[in-house]
Amino acid sequence: MPDWRGLVRQRLTGIQLKEHEAAEVIEELADHLEDAYRSFLRKGLLEEECVQEVLREVSSWRDLRAEIESSRKREPAMNKRVSQFWFPAFLTLFLSQVALMLIQEFGPRDYLSPAASHPRMLPQNAVFAAWLVTLPLIGALGAYLSGRAGGHAKSIFAAVTFPVLPFLALVLIGLPLALIFDDHVARGFSIPLFFVAFSAWVVFPAMALVAGGWHLFHLRPWSGRSQVSGI
Amino acid sequence: MIASGIKRGTAELAVLSVLESGPLHGYEIARHIEQQTKGSLRFTLAALYPMLYRLEKLKLVQGSWESSPNGRRRRCYRLTATGKKKLVPLRKEWSQLFVALRQLAGGSNA
Repeated sequence: MPDWRGLVRQRLTGIQLKEHEAAEVIEELADHLEDAYRSFLRKGLLEEECVQEVLREVSSWRDLRAEIESSRKREPAMNKRVSQFWFPAFLTLFLSQVALMLIQEFGPRDYLSPAASHPRMLPQNAVFAAWLVTLPLIGALGAYLSGRAGGHAKSIFAAVTFPVLPFLALVLIGLPLALIFDDHVARGFSIPLFFVAFSAWVVFPAMALVAGGWHLFHLRPWSGRSQVSGI
Repeated sequence: MIASGIKRGTAELAVLSVLESGPLHGYEIARHIEQQTKGSLRFTLAALYPMLYRLEKLKLVQGSWESSPNGRRRRCYRLTATGKKKLVPLRKEWSQLFVALRQLAGGSNA
């Protein structure tokens, strides 16, 4: 009986797999060759003929080695997480902040009030509304990038809504702390004001971001990405 | 014999289909396919294992080392729940394609 393990090990020398993985592949392929060899023997072929027949199973060991490497290669989980979540999340956060800064810089300007008691007023609502309009676009971009990297619904949603997380943290953690430690904040605090701030900086921006992403979800459904193969 | 291009595309369907009846090791998969297709589809080692590893990566099949009654350790493949789910639309797609090709071939012959 030929040494099939030795033959496979020699032909696959240098295969780029972890040691235990390479050993498993060698054992499995050698088993296959051994089975084929026994099958030819049972058919009545001479040993030499059987070996020749079995060797026809692989026309190019170099190609086989490359194909096995590529088919067993696993993308590091971190890379996937980065491309599906962290990169689109930080990009949407960055773009949303840049948009807010640009709108504050170049958007609606301060104006002189005709009333003498109010010399200057900043149209905050106009700035906020203009910023809100840009968010669906940013959300769409985040959803597209996450979806293109193979992200599923959860990671797409998390990446798209990431820009509101700092505001959410501010409202849920920063504000209660300020209420405890800062008398000035505590005096000015009211429940309706809290809901206005929460809606303005968390709920509405999140809705705007998701609205942009949602539109794209329908264009590029994230399910069924792992197609088997066509012709 | 079926042209090699079509074979490549149907290979995964063939593997998933034979595994539907139960777990098999690589050599058995190749033999089952050959027998069930009366030799029209034949898998060499070089064609079979890269595909099995790919299907495993896609979680459509799962491979595990098992000991046979004679004490020989073999790597057996079984269809996963995802693989079973995938098989239904895959069969439908290929069946539609073959119907369309048959119609096309019939039309051109007429």
